[in-house]
Amino acid sequence: MTARIPVTRRTLVKGALGGTALIASPWVRRVDAAEVLYVNTWGGAWEAAAKKNIFEPFTKETGVEIRTVSPVSVAKLAAQARTGVYEFDVTTLGGGDIVRANKAGIIEPINDKAAADMGLWKDAVFQNGVASHAFATVIAYRTDKFPNGGPKNWAEFWDTKKFPGTRCLQKYAARIIPIALLADGVPMDKLYPLDVERAFKSLERIKPSIRVWWTQGPQSQQLLRDGEVDLIGIWNGRILELMDQKAPAAIEWNQAEIDRAYWVIAKGTPRAELARKYIKTAVSATALAGFCKSADYGPLNPEAFKVIPENEAKRMPTYPPHYKLAFEQDVLNAGIDFDAVTKRFDQWLAS
Amino acid sequence: MTPTKSTPHRPDRLALILLAPLLVFLVVFFLVPLGEVMWMSITEPSFGFGHYGKVLLDPHYRRVVLDTLGTSLMVTTVCVLLAYPLAYVTAQIGGTIGAVLLMLVAMSFWTSFLVRTYAWMIILGNRGPVSELLKATGWDPPPLMLFTRFSSTVALTHILLPIMVMALYAVMRKIDLNIMKAAASLGATPFSAFRNIYFPLSAPGIVSGSTIVFVLCIGFYVTPVLIGSPREQMISGMIGAQIEEFLAFGEASAMAMVLLVVTVAILAVYHRFFGLDKLWG
Repeated sequence: MTARIPVTRRTLVKGALGGTALIASPWVRRVDAAEVLYVNTWGGAWEAAAKKNIFEPFTKETGVEIRTVSPVSVAKLAAQARTGVYEFDVTTLGGGDIVRANKAGIIEPINDKAAADMGLWKDAVFQNGVASHAFATVIAYRTDKFPNGGPKNWAEFWDTKKFPGTRCLQKYAARIIPIALLADGVPMDKLYPLDVERAFKSLERIKPSIRVWWTQGPQSQQLLRDGEVDLIGIWNGRILELMDQKAPAAIEWNQAEIDRAYWVIAKGTPRAELARKYIKTAVSATALAGFCKSADYGPLNPEAFKVIPENEAKRMPTYPPHYKLAFEQDVLNAGIDFDAVTKRFDQWLAS
Repeated sequence: MTPTKSTPHRPDRLALILLAPLLVFLVVFFLVPLGEVMWMSITEPSFGFGHYGKVLLDPHYRRVVLDTLGTSLMVTTVCVLLAYPLAYVTAQIGGTIGAVLLMLVAMSFWTSFLVRTYAWMIILGNRGPVSELLKATGWDPPPLMLFTRFSSTVALTHILLPIMVMALYAVMRKIDLNIMKAAASLGATPFSAFRNIYFPLSAPGIVSGSTIVFVLCIGFYVTPVLIGSPREQMISGMIGAQIEEFLAFGEASAMAMVLLVVTVAILAVYHRFFGLDKLWG
């Protein structure tokens, strides 16, 4: 136990130099590249799809290198605007988050002129974000547990007698409240404004069956794949990917809850101009169609569907036959303070 | 009797020069950000001590604080019970067995706690080895172990155990076994010699090990968040949620300060009775 690593002056100097070089290398590398844009991504399949269909064409076209940071974090977006230190310049936000972010003033405004410069379609800009793609929270279940088919709607998902088993939902109040109301029998077209009291009563009924609330996409896949839970409310892309991998799982498109994702620019970033160029490419018909095909999203640029074959479109929540069964999050008419509801939801979870 | 006046100052100045890089580092990357957190806790969004009142008085927050302290106490206790025999064997019996045990402890210590947390996810999972074993012995369906207080306690114990072992080992190594022989020669039974001599001599290791493990445990973030029960949050998990979900930097900062004060208080008590320099044996 008294053995020591012999430290000579030479090894010490070598070590110190090596260490300094190692610590300094990220900055050295950053200085090398003339133009770099930092994109905040969801990682995994999402990033692979974006790399192939958006990043690479963008770099080829403009010579701007894309570096990625993941996962997506609104907190980091807020911290960046506060400190002026930018880890990423652009990110994607969902409907609930973009209203919050816009209110908090942590994203760059996109005015009419900027929208025109980007060549955007009508209604593309919402709360200073550029509409990109849609995804859905759908019902999914293990087929080995329910060989005769699983729940066909959220009320059945809540029905623990008909479908006994452990369940999992996302820890995200804004998405769970409408689902809880559907489960309690509120019709899809009468959801908004949201009746929060009724939603919590409905949630109270399902709470004992929910083993865990997922927070990250890969985690939701792992929980169903490993059989930790039998039923799950999960994003359509994630469950389709599991099914492609031959996991014993099935998807139910009925009462899918659609969320829109928007590209936003971090407030005050010195690379805002590049970021606008980037978003222009990201939502252009071909790039967006390719991205949505790879990541199982539904494009929001109407032009994109023209370049997507039917069999690919069938995997998308905005594919017309699926869209008919689905409902959209209506963040502006929700009639609730999302922060207050989220706080209540978190305290309810812990009680 | 006539030491030159400059000699005692020389090593001081040398020490200061040697320490300067560290001091600068700590000030820039630790004290300044810490001061900023402190500042945010009373100015964000407006000046006042409202966050502290809320953190200390709100029943929800109080429960989380109590849960955190309870879990940490449990983890610390289990760590002592498991680490004591292990450290004893390693320190006193030594030889090949001791070396192998020490290496196993060190290997566990060097493995990222994230990896170890995921390993526990597999071990305690619904289709994991423990579940299958229970099923084979007739406990079917086996209990759900993941996402409970049990799973987070087991994983935290495993992660912090090496630290306890090392704290105990450091103290036990210094115990002169001749004293035990002397006790035996005076007629003490092995148990009585252990109880009256060895155990009191090793007690400082228990105290310092427990202090380190407890302090680390109350601040633990990843493991409880990943495999703990959704109903039993720990303070760090809640600080994370405050920032991630509500962008409530002020409130989160106040919670972080409370956590820091608790930690400093524990270390201050330790310092008062034992001296902080003894913390690592």
